[in-house]
Amino acid sequence: MDILIHDLKDEEFQSFFSKAYNNVRIISDTGTIRRCIGCFGCWIKTPGKCVLKDGYGNMGELLSKSEKVTIISRCFYGSYSPFVKNVLDRSIPYLLPFFKIKNNETHHKRRYQNNIELDVHFYGENITAEEEETAKKLVKANCTNFYVKNYEISFSKSLEELSGKVNAI
Amino acid sequence: MNICILNGSPKASKSTSELLIEYLMSFIGDKETAIYNICKADLSETQFSRIQSSDALVFVFPLYIDGINSQLLRFLIELEKRGFGNKNIGVYCIINNGFFEGRQNLISAEIMKNWCKTVGLTYCQTLGAGAGEMLPFLKDIPLGHGPNRNLGIAFQELSRNILSLNRGEDLFVSPNCPRFLWKIASSLKFWYPRAKENGLKRKRLKDRAD
Repeated sequence: MDILIHDLKDEEFQSFFSKAYNNVRIISDTGTIRRCIGCFGCWIKTPGKCVLKDGYGNMGELLSKSEKVTIISRCFYGSYSPFVKNVLDRSIPYLLPFFKIKNNETHHKRRYQNNIELDVHFYGENITAEEEETAKKLVKANCTNFYVKNYEISFSKSLEELSGKVNAI
Repeated sequence: MNICILNGSPKASKSTSELLIEYLMSFIGDKETAIYNICKADLSETQFSRIQSSDALVFVFPLYIDGINSQLLRFLIELEKRGFGNKNIGVYCIINNGFFEGRQNLISAEIMKNWCKTVGLTYCQTLGAGAGEMLPFLKDIPLGHGPNRNLGIAFQELSRNILSLNRGEDLFVSPNCPRFLWKIASSLKFWYPRAKENGLKRKRLKDRAD
């Protein structure tokens, strides 16, 4: 299964990306998502499942069935947008609470053994060079923590530019 | 001197960020200080004005997926929209993460630095602490002693800089104890007992959702 997580309005998605992503599971902003409250319920109460019932509680399971995850996000200060970050914050049930040492740093152990490929497409008119550098570090760190071996990152000034890139693939 | 402390922890129960604010308060004393929890309720116009007219803003928050949690991100965007007429505000951050190494807070500190550039404020210093979930268990050990040694030393420097509105090098600290002991304790003293409270046996923690 392929997944697309994006923060676009419906009309933006339809205009620019519906052809490129017509056969993937779409995770978009329906206005119902709740923030992760750091309760660890997904680790110590209902292992692997988020305890919040808002339609976004199955991210761990969805990621476990994914081969390819694509993220389209506006870049804010070198981070993802609040909605995309919200989805990622809700994705920790993909991992176990226990720790292991990897490259002399502690990271969570994996709950699942599937290999995910990740493409992250940031967009925004005024992304600075520093924000790009931060965003690259952020995605790399996410890949380390989510056991992603292969990933790509792109930066576009507009959705038109980004759609040209993804539709050319 | 007006100091505004912004608690960016989305945790419903008592958070490590709250404890770190208590530690900070013990250093900065009775200065005019406001503490707002930006995740629990919308701030009033008066509170936003207070933030915009502060001498120092101290953001205190946990690391979420290598960065800043979605609620704090929304708040930063809101502050950017409102803007800062007064640019003479120093920004400090106290970040904690659930891993052992304080340096894993580096990226979220960079995001805050980028935010400061966008809104035109001066970024002054980061205190990035590791083993955030362990800190409440150590609260009876004085800062500067035992496993809290490094954290105490870092708080001394950070609070000195806040009170003088000076900048300083970022401080990333891990507990003053062997990492392997922390790792064992995290399972035996934290995850397993909490699973037991929920009626789960140890092996159930590895359940898969499918």
